[in-house]
Amino acid sequence: MLERRDLSALRRQKLWSAAFSWLTYAWVIAACKLYFGYSISDVERFREDIWRKLDAHDGPVIWAANHLTLIDSFLVFWAIFPWRRSMTMRLIPWSTPEYKNYYNLGGPIKKRLVRSLMYLCRCIPFKRDGEDEAAVRWRETAYAKCVEILREGGAVFVYPEAGRSRSGWFNRRKPKDFLGRMALDAPKAAFLCVYLRGDRQLYTTAIPDKGERFRVVGDLVPAVLPAETTPRQISQRLFDTLDGLQNRWFAASPLRRCCGGNDVVDLRFPLLQENMDPVSGEADEQWLDKHLTPRERLAWEALPAEKRFAEFWRYFAAKEAAHKALVQSGLIVAHGLFTLIEVDLFRRKALHRPTGAELDILFTDDDAEKLHCLAVLRGGWIGNEDEPGDVLWRVEELPAGRAPGEYVRERCLRFIAESNDEIATADKLAFSDVGGTPAVVYRGKIQDWGVSISHGGRFVACSFMIS
Amino acid sequence: MAFKRKETVIEATDLNSIPPEEAEKRIIAGVKKYATHEANFAKADANTPYLGHIIGMGIESSNLADITMSIERQFLTKMTQRVPAGDGGEFKLASGELGKLRILDGQDALAATPGLSVKMLMDLGHMSRNDAYLQKVVSFAYITALGDGWRMNDALRKMLAKVEKLSGAEREEAAANLKTMAQQARDYLAQIADAAVLAASRRKTYDNDKAAVDSLSRELSVVSDKLKGLSAGNDSGEIARLRSEEAEIKTRLKMAQAKLRVSQEVATQAGNRRAVEQAKVDELRGLLAQTIALAEKAG
Repeated sequence: MLERRDLSALRRQKLWSAAFSWLTYAWVIAACKLYFGYSISDVERFREDIWRKLDAHDGPVIWAANHLTLIDSFLVFWAIFPWRRSMTMRLIPWSTPEYKNYYNLGGPIKKRLVRSLMYLCRCIPFKRDGEDEAAVRWRETAYAKCVEILREGGAVFVYPEAGRSRSGWFNRRKPKDFLGRMALDAPKAAFLCVYLRGDRQLYTTAIPDKGERFRVVGDLVPAVLPAETTPRQISQRLFDTLDGLQNRWFAASPLRRCCGGNDVVDLRFPLLQENMDPVSGEADEQWLDKHLTPRERLAWEALPAEKRFAEFWRYFAAKEAAHKALVQSGLIVAHGLFTLIEVDLFRRKALHRPTGAELDILFTDDDAEKLHCLAVLRGGWIGNEDEPGDVLWRVEELPAGRAPGEYVRERCLRFIAESNDEIATADKLAFSDVGGTPAVVYRGKIQDWGVSISHGGRFVACSFMIS
Repeated sequence: MAFKRKETVIEATDLNSIPPEEAEKRIIAGVKKYATHEANFAKADANTPYLGHIIGMGIESSNLADITMSIERQFLTKMTQRVPAGDGGEFKLASGELGKLRILDGQDALAATPGLSVKMLMDLGHMSRNDAYLQKVVSFAYITALGDGWRMNDALRKMLAKVEKLSGAEREEAAANLKTMAQQARDYLAQIADAAVLAASRRKTYDNDKAAVDSLSRELSVVSDKLKGLSAGNDSGEIARLRSEEAEIKTRLKMAQAKLRVSQEVATQAGNRRAVEQAKVDELRGLLAQTIALAEKAG
């Protein structure tokens, strides 16, 4: 429940933001267009479609968008609101930016300027961290303010992921319940789902590059459907809707949607023991430095000697698999610079350090003979031991006398054909090369399947994504 | 000076006591055990890529670091004195006593062939510059661009052989794939034919890397602003967290800047085609044009 002073503070902010709405609108557009040189493709048609739906809905609206940069709220607002609608106060959304990110920026003057701008842009600061009483009360008050705004027929802007996506991919498998809770508290609301991104936005950044041209897709969907009674049901539907929009966005993008990689290591391959003894775990210092980051090195050194050999090659396989997935995403990653990728085997993550792009990794084969690792940046879920994900893979022994590169391509095409009733025979498929990575051609088109091939010693392996 | 490693004793040689051709020969010999494509290795020269099976020596990625380490073990240099560079305990190497060669992290990013490894040694000051030798070395930009072409030609030839064995509906589907691949190859030919077009395509990578550096700089300034904003407060936990975030971004920025230098060099090299690169381009263009003609006939 909001106290009287919270309610009056909210109303005061509403009045001030209304009084300055043209000015803040002009400032947002000027900054986006003139300073950053941004533009949005086909924005008029998008606005026409969205406003037709918004005009037909007289209830509150919960804006929900993907999150890649610190200024997404401004960009989405610009994409939705044409100048002539800038006085439609009811639908100008209230946002809940993280307090730590915006309210303590710079010296006293800058701090005041930013805070004033946030105030006029209808921001309700939110503190996501902290479990003490004050932090919990802060969160509950901010949430109650949002519900109050919605009950009065207003609009609230939320990021369903509750943070910027580290992989640059909106993951439908991680719904957050607060959205469903909000919808149940304001059942007459509709979700305005928006996916906005530029074709040069390969990963999460503070601010998009200057001159970026964005494309936007969106839809208005009911907040609560008749059969929905739990927050999770609602949140999952919303996440599915945003996932659908993400797929629509990628369908029109030159970027590959599916970015996956794999790597197989033959643990008995003699050259693997060149610089490390498999029994004692002793290794050439310089060689370790060329492969492991200081953090990886610490984790590796903490292991018993007999486990170090396999663990080192786990790091290596994960880095190689991640490298392949990153190259598919459009990032040029130099081969052999192993320390640019940092692997956390416990959390099953690989981090591309120069960009901060984070990938999921999974070991599908891990025995005394071999290791096989998958990595996924975007396009689907990698899966786990209990539940298969969106990646299919195969690891095989290389027959004597066969060239590994040729054999793995042949087996990969056969594997893809076997996995799809429509294709049936590998003769309908071909391997090509796109941007230095292998890609499969089917029916005369290069397919976005995140195909990856690998060979090492006695083994060959391939993987592709079915999402 | 001798380094003992397992049963092999390697006599290290002062890089300034041998000509670049001899260094190249020793570099090739040093990676013999990692090369899985024996035929290509047997005829390897300054411009044979270490990686890849079509024209390369077939060295596996698990042995990539071994190439540099093999070079380090074979040679001695006077560039051994560590001079501090930057605030993160980093250093660069300056002229000092004759000692073990050390290639620092990232310095070998462009050493994709034995010739480019020699060039790297010259660029880093371990050997004196020899322009006559460097005239014979294909640049990294062209090694990667030509590699793309060789892979394309190989894929097209394999597809061609496949189509010829098929009939009926399957042949039609395979022919559609062949047509797409032939078109890809034609687009590639148009790009490689003109050094300016190739340079423009490499310039895109440079622009992306430049944008990445700018983006990180902005991220760093946001964190600095947050620290500035907090400096009057007493939230020591948050200040410590931001300081660590700042250090992490600075490391990332350094990496991104190193990558930018590489892409800048590649973009410059791509636009500056020399006789040695023109000859390689001509050889590939002739071959690929032939394959495309065969594909058109079969499709």
